[in-house]
This record gives sequence, C-alpha cells and structure tokens, in this order.
Amino acid sequence: MSEVIVITSGKGGVGKTTTTANVGTGLAQLNKKVVLIDTDIGLRNLDVVMGLENRIVYNLVDVVEGNCRIKQALIKDKKYPNLFLLPSAQTRDKTSVTPEQMQKLVEELREEFDYILLDCPAGIEQGFKNAIAGADRALVVTTPEVSAIRDADRIIGLLEANEIKKIELIVNRLRMDMVKRGDMMSIEDVHEILAIDLIGAVPDDEQIVISTNQGEPLVGSDSLAGQAYLNICKRIMGEEVPLLDLESKNGVWSKFVSLFKKN
Amino acid sequence: MSQPVVLKSNPHGINLILDDRIPFQELLDEILHKFKESDKFFKNARIALSFEGRELSQEEELAIVDLISRNTSIDVVCILDNNSLRDEICARKIQEFDESQSGRTGEFYKGTLRSGQVIECKTSIVVLGDVNPGAKIIAKGNIVVLGSLRGNAYAGAAGDEHTFVAALDMDPVQIKIGNVIGRSSDRGPLSAIKNRRKTLEPQVAVVMDDSILIEPITSGLLMNI
Repeated sequence: MSEVIVITSGKGGVGKTTTTANVGTGLAQLNKKVVLIDTDIGLRNLDVVMGLENRIVYNLVDVVEGNCRIKQALIKDKKYPNLFLLPSAQTRDKTSVTPEQMQKLVEELREEFDYILLDCPAGIEQGFKNAIAGADRALVVTTPEVSAIRDADRIIGLLEANEIKKIELIVNRLRMDMVKRGDMMSIEDVHEILAIDLIGAVPDDEQIVISTNQGEPLVGSDSLAGQAYLNICKRIMGEEVPLLDLESKNGVWSKFVSLFKKN
Repeated sequence: MSQPVVLKSNPHGINLILDDRIPFQELLDEILHKFKESDKFFKNARIALSFEGRELSQEEELAIVDLISRNTSIDVVCILDNNSLRDEICARKIQEFDESQSGRTGEFYKGTLRSGQVIECKTSIVVLGDVNPGAKIIAKGNIVVLGSLRGNAYAGAAGDEHTFVAALDMDPVQIKIGNVIGRSSDRGPLSAIKNRRKTLEPQVAVVMDDSILIEPITSGLLMNI
C-alpha cells in the first residue's frame, strides 16, 4: 500500500525541502521504495539539496505535458537505488500544472512506489493547491517562531478543508538553550496552539547547513538532527518511537542523546 | 391610466399591469389584444405571470390564463403573487424576528477556528474548540468559546452593546462588542504565549462605560448580563 505525503508549511524558509530530502532518504534507508516530487515549479531546489542537479534532463512539467514518460524524468539517487527524484521545472511557473494533472501523476506513481513525497512550495496559491491535490497525508513543518506558527495554523485549516485526514507536525530548528531561557517557544507551546499530532522535533544543527551545501542528506548520521529525522521516518512507517519527554528534568538534549545511544 | 393593460417583463416572466376601473370582460379583450400583438415575440415562451394594479379573484386570474393559453403559443407556467407591500411587510417581520432572537437563540460550531477562518452568525454562537490568532467570529448575539479565544471576536455585530463574549481561556487579539472595540496589551507575541495564565479561569467581556471590561465569570456577574 503506497502513501502520498505532502510536506508543507505556508511560510518559506522553515525547512520543507530539507525535511523532504531527509525524510525521503531516511525511508529509503529503511528499505522503502521512495519518490520525491519537487512541486515548486520555477524555484527548483530539492535537486540541489539531494545533489542531483547535474542529472536533470526532463522535469515535472515535461511529464505532465507529455514530452516524456515518467520513467525518463525520474532521477535515481546517488546512494540509494530505491530512491528517486522527479525534479521541478525552473523555466516555468505554477500555472503550468493543474491539481487534476498532479492527481493523475501521483496515481500513476502509486503503482511503483511505497512512499511518494511532495515538496510543497511556500504560500497558499496554485502551487500549494497542486501539491496537496493527490496527498493522503500531510507533514506540516514549522519553526518555533510566531510567524511560522501563524502560517502553519492557516495551512492546517486549509488542509482540513481539503479533507486531508492525517495531518502531523514537525517542529524544526529547535534551540533548547533558547527555550530554557524563555526566548523561544517550546514544543509544548507550539503544540498547544496548533493542536495536531507531533511526529517529530528536529534540533537546530549546523550539520544540516553543511549537509545541504554538500548535497547529501544527513538522516541516519551521528548528528542529533540526523537521528531526529530517522525517528520521524520510523514514525511515518507506524513504528512507535517514543516522542521526546518534555517533562523530564534532563531536558530534550539528553533525551536525544539517550535515544541515540540505544541505537 | 392611458392604457388599460401594460405588459412588463421581469426576470421570471411577465408582469401585467391592469386598469381597475374598466369592466372585467373589457379587460379580457384588451389583454387578448396585447398578447396577439406580441405573439410572435413571445413565441412558445414559458413564462410566469404576475398581476398588478387590480385585485383579481381566483376565477378571474384563471380566466386570463385560459385566454392566453387558448389564443397564443405562450405557456403560462405559474402565477406569481406580486404584492410588493406584502413582501415588504414579510421581510420586515422576518428581520424583526431575527433581531429579537439574536440574543436568545444560538448556533453551535464544533472544531477549532484556525488563522484565516471566519464564522458569521445571525444569532449567538457557542464554539466548541479554540479560536486561534488570525481567526474571527462575528455574531449578532453573544459569543461563547469553550476553549481558548486567541483571535478576534465581534459580538452584537448589529450594534447591540448588551451582548457579551465569554471564553474558558480569554486571550484575544481584539474584542468588539457593538461599536466598542478593545485590543490586547502591547506585549510581543512570544511573551503572550509564554506569559499565558497557568490556571485557566473562564472570563467574560462586556461593555462598561464605553469600554470593554473583561472579568472572571461569577454568579453575580451572570445575573447582570
């Protein structure tokens, strides 16, 4: 049974593309057959984060317009043979594709893949509508900032209105030192406002910047963020990985560390 | 009246403006004449007929319809009641009823209102859920939020300042009651979240001396609103 998951946020720059790259790679590490679709037509960059830019021949718009077959446009990952990318077009814009066309494309890919991840553009316009059209499930990415949370709230409302039943939250770029000082919202604060299931929290980690710049997702690596992403992947697959215990005196960091040690 | 019969079209069909002084039989002849004149124009049309300017009995109305169907190709689908005075009275009565009921009856809304979502309600409303920042409730009557009110609430939207806004957790961006508006203090959004009251206490907002007053709900207060 394949699942179509849209990664969305409303606000830009909170880590949708990084999350898509890492979650997709993580699911591939866990032996799932995965395809990532970059729906940000005109502002393509999932291919850059994946380090696959130099392999692009055809793109999403080519597939939709019938210039090529889906198979021709799919790019196989450098490391994982069960991971593919369908890149976006850079020279076109969001109106080049309709929600109906996206739905049809996704239905075709369902036959081949276990997970289809859609990297959604920022905003709530055509690009967003295209991205959510065929989705079964949504991961809403937010950072613990009031502006990002306001946008995430709006997005959740729109997802609910579009009858996407399963909506889960990823709190990205958490800085526990700031949370402790009271300068940043805690996971609990975020969760209280958005009131949807939390599927993972990812700490702010400079390793992310490094890995993004290298074009190699860090999921599964020794870094805290790498472990956090892998836990998200396991939870997506239905595995019960304990969520971070916010009440514990040790705080989130040591919980991360202890989870890491167990593995 | 210069002409005893005038045909006037309206969105549904034809309005017949009739002279109420000439005998009915004469009127029928005039109607027949008018329709014959424009028979080509109305060819096979399906219309709704309405009358104006003369009180007609049911028999008379039927006689006119019968006359038209027998002598022209027009298909009279129905007769519309065209009494603008009655319409006006009806509309006014309905509006009066709505207004009188706005503080007494209510609706329920189940679910959380998220940023960008707006509910408008002609009566009072009870929300079973939260109202998040960026969301808005507008009611002609009262507003009760069984959850956190963190967005905007506008009670007494028709101008009634005797309405109220109540919430289990009162932390709104703005409250408007009638024409009186109140806003939250100028702390930053993060401190608003961090400094939220630890123990939730239901509160109610009312208008007092032209400003919004927010108080804990007590039995004494409930008697006064």
